[in-house]
Amino acid sequence: MKPLTVNFRSKASQTLADAQIQQSIEHVYTGFFQSRLAAAADTPDWEVLRTKGKAIKDHTIAHLDYYLGQLADSVEANGGSVFFAADAVEARKHIIDLAHRREIKTVIKSKSMVSEEMGLAEAMNAEGFETIETDLGEYIIQLANETPYHLIAPAVHKSRADVAKLLDDDFKEGDRIPDASELTMMARKKLRGVFERADMSVTGVNFAVAESGSIALVTNEGNGRMSTSVPRVHVAVMGMEKIVPSIQDLSTMLRILIRSATGQRISTYVTMINGPRKPEEEEGPEEFHLVIMDNGRQKLLEDEQMRESLNCIRCGACLNACPVYRKVGGHAYGWVYPGPIGAIVSPVLTGLKDASNLPAASSLCGACHVACPVKINIPRMLLELRWRTAEGSTDKKERTSSITERGIWKMWRFGMMGRKRFDIGARLSGLALLPFTKNGWLKKAPPPISGWTSTRDFPAIASKSLKSRFGKRDRNSR
Amino acid sequence: MADRAEFLARVTLSLGRSEVLAPPTDHSTTVFEDADTAKSRADSATNDAAERSSDLLNRLAESADAAGWKVHRARNPEAAAGLVAEICEQKSAGSVLRSSHDVLEEIGTDDAVTNTGATIAVTEHVGETNRGLVEESKQRAFSTDIGITGVDYAVAETGTVVLHPRGGLSRLVSLAPPTHIAVVRPGEVLDSLDELFAMERNSFMSGELAGSMNLISGPSKTADIEGTTVTGIHGPLEVHLIILETG
Repeated sequence: MKPLTVNFRSKASQTLADAQIQQSIEHVYTGFFQSRLAAAADTPDWEVLRTKGKAIKDHTIAHLDYYLGQLADSVEANGGSVFFAADAVEARKHIIDLAHRREIKTVIKSKSMVSEEMGLAEAMNAEGFETIETDLGEYIIQLANETPYHLIAPAVHKSRADVAKLLDDDFKEGDRIPDASELTMMARKKLRGVFERADMSVTGVNFAVAESGSIALVTNEGNGRMSTSVPRVHVAVMGMEKIVPSIQDLSTMLRILIRSATGQRISTYVTMINGPRKPEEEEGPEEFHLVIMDNGRQKLLEDEQMRESLNCIRCGACLNACPVYRKVGGHAYGWVYPGPIGAIVSPVLTGLKDASNLPAASSLCGACHVACPVKINIPRMLLELRWRTAEGSTDKKERTSSITERGIWKMWRFGMMGRKRFDIGARLSGLALLPFTKNGWLKKAPPPISGWTSTRDFPAIASKSLKSRFGKRDRNSR
Repeated sequence: MADRAEFLARVTLSLGRSEVLAPPTDHSTTVFEDADTAKSRADSATNDAAERSSDLLNRLAESADAAGWKVHRARNPEAAAGLVAEICEQKSAGSVLRSSHDVLEEIGTDDAVTNTGATIAVTEHVGETNRGLVEESKQRAFSTDIGITGVDYAVAETGTVVLHPRGGLSRLVSLAPPTHIAVVRPGEVLDSLDELFAMERNSFMSGELAGSMNLISGPSKTADIEGTTVTGIHGPLEVHLIILETG
């Protein structure tokens, strides 16, 4: 997927101005947010689980090379195949080549953010494979030719009328709008036929177990189970960070993932796959392929300030908690991962230069840190990226602050270093702004202050400084 | 094609090391249990399931209800058979597919179903399967009205039924038909996910890990349209859990 992070401002403004989208997204986010709070309150050892979850992820990421090697060995021992892809292009090519070799006609896709990184569905369709998204939200998004809006609720911005138009060619403006249940049944009917003829599936991976070569898939709809039951070839794609060491770690990780995502105690279906079907089974894929993708994650791993972001288990809790995300919506972030986690992952994976608005789009209120089931300190990393934007950090090319901006800060620093300089500076700037001042307020200032005054007034600099007024008052009262 | 060795070497380098470092086994979080601890945990879970069975059945009834199962309690096998027949009639089922779990024979499922006028098929066969048989079995599952299974385990914490697909237990019998009935017996209920995954780990350690495992907690559902929860998108619209109180 081509990053469009550079469009953050215009996309955000578009969403803010769209009353219908504002209405459809607000109650869903609030719903998710409240459900998570209720689930956490209902779990007596919630904080213990979070601490454990963080420890499991910290440990795994610190030994990622070891666990990746172990995972590959155990998947192969189970009769599956493993492919390591350095980037999205390699991963996509591997899967498409495999589909050609196996003479595949229909591919069913389960929700997977990693496959979004590859732009897999579009690419496979372009190659002539009928490739259908099977998660209902993703299916709607595919029909609308858009990208997901939310990590776990991709079509959250679509109204029932929008969905009716997409599912039913005969639906016209003014017709009675079907309810959610009727629309879901329409989709069920359409997708049943697809499941029956599918000969290949592509799923994501919620957790891969290094020791046993298992993958765990979590769904409420059952498309993950269809994908691992019906087609003859199953391909699972994962980012290289999605590992846990042992099967026993899954009880902790599933508890925190699911409760943080939807507030459920458990999702309807958790499926563990330990390789292709056994010889005596009546159903199940003949082949199991695991694709492990880097696609820039190495940059997060080697960067000690940003490494913690690889602990993310993609629950979406930080999105629902974020006051900025809840208003500007998912598409503004311009790449696969939206919201607070996207604001730290996208800039590193796709380049900070174009994405410098993402870490800035935060009030640093810390709600994401509080919500995160593995305690990722997102605000710390947002600040780190802001600093890099301003100072260029290790890579000067990533610096996006203008010469004017840096010049102003240099002058400010110079002015603040001495009492006399400060006094003179304050008086000069007061004088310079005098032509724009009216009744004590700056209403329309010249650049660069115009950025501020175009949306709100700025208090004018007082003609006498506090110090001089204070000095006078002191003498008079004596 | 990315070479595995090259890929892993880059990861090692990114971690600031020149060679792979084996992770410490005595990690302070205690989540990385050794084989013996996993085994004793698994054993005590099995004992627990037997000794505290009535308590666990009660907790399962509650959590399963919350997860969206229609929960029924049967005092004896005859009552269970009666419940199966009742559901078949309610759904006006023409065809039923069942797994070869022995509990289903114990309660006389086949007679109960055929007495309602429905046909019953069993997912059982011996030896290796082939593509033709897989295709046939898929068609059957997709055109059946009700699927009936026993359980390998149930989990009281979450209201979950656990099934390990294998010869005689098709993956689709609990997924493709619009209605699924599961029958659980005393002694099959585990306290929590911790016990379940300890037992899975133990199976792995002793080389007996099944090819796959499904945790099922209620009917298939989605909330992808305007956040409204709707039952039955890809899997069953209705799921029944029959708790058999005597073994």
